[in-house]
Amino acid sequence: MSDPIIFDRAQVRRQRDRAAATLAEHDFLLQESADRLVDRLEDVTRSFPVALDLGCHGGELSGRLRGRFGIETLVSSDLSPRMAEKARAGGALAAAADEETLPFAEGRFDLVISNLSLHWVNDLPGTLLQIRRLLKPDGLFLAAMLGGETLKELRQAMMDAELAEEGGVSPRVSPFVDVKDAGALLQRAGFSLPVADVDPVDVTYGNPMTLLADLRGMGETNAVAVRRKTLTRRGTLMRAMSAYQERFAGPDGRMPASFQILTITGWTPAK
Amino acid sequence: MPTTLTAIDPKLLELLVCPLTKQPLRYDAERQELISDAVQLAFPIRDGIPIMLPSEARSLEE
Repeated sequence: MSDPIIFDRAQVRRQRDRAAATLAEHDFLLQESADRLVDRLEDVTRSFPVALDLGCHGGELSGRLRGRFGIETLVSSDLSPRMAEKARAGGALAAAADEETLPFAEGRFDLVISNLSLHWVNDLPGTLLQIRRLLKPDGLFLAAMLGGETLKELRQAMMDAELAEEGGVSPRVSPFVDVKDAGALLQRAGFSLPVADVDPVDVTYGNPMTLLADLRGMGETNAVAVRRKTLTRRGTLMRAMSAYQERFAGPDGRMPASFQILTITGWTPAK
Repeated sequence: MPTTLTAIDPKLLELLVCPLTKQPLRYDAERQELISDAVQLAFPIRDGIPIMLPSEARSLEE
């Protein structure tokens, strides 16, 4: 195996398992992104009898898809069995599945859709290839993932604090796919009409600790494989939180948090 | 009926393959497992949810 392992998938799974129970308190980003995916699907004038919601979290997107877009069979899968349980409780045909080794039959799906999960995949080209094979001819792949501008304020604040307190920096926030590379990745995986674009989601927080709680609550904290296995020192964390405030607080005292949603679309060639 | 709550949906079953070999799986209804013969792994079905993670599969090798 020469491919670098960037993400610790077992850690991604643990974080999602832990997040599942209280997900609804922290899922604003998943809900917003699910709305946007549905908007995009509404622009497509065909039906999708067999669909897969890949990396479904608690079923936020699945719930919006059920009974719409000509979907007759909707499978919802997540790396986390706890998340899959939540999706099933909402009425989904749920499975626990790893996006890196998909357990689905090839050529059976009309739609593979994914809401904020694929940015945790190590071998994205390999996963895209597997997804393309799941699709029937003229099938649609539509995915939202977090893009490179995501949490730029938090990254900056953490870096400042680590340099000041510890004299060095460690990876804190996951590396993301660049929009410029996404189209080529889709093409390489055999998709036609590849499209990639980015949309900002800007929110503000009264306290950056609430942002951290939301990230943890969505299972979106750092799972970079080389991350430090020890907890962040309290002093470093406190310093980062005050750096966040000093550098980024607006006139109203609220702190911005930037998210960027990278949306990628590709079709399988018609027969 | 509680049994229908925990049973795996046949529509889901027919869309699943082994995540490693992509070959069809054998359904063991009694043990609630999906068996991949080529790699001798049994994937558990818990409360109707197939857990298709190799790390959770039971090895069938002696």
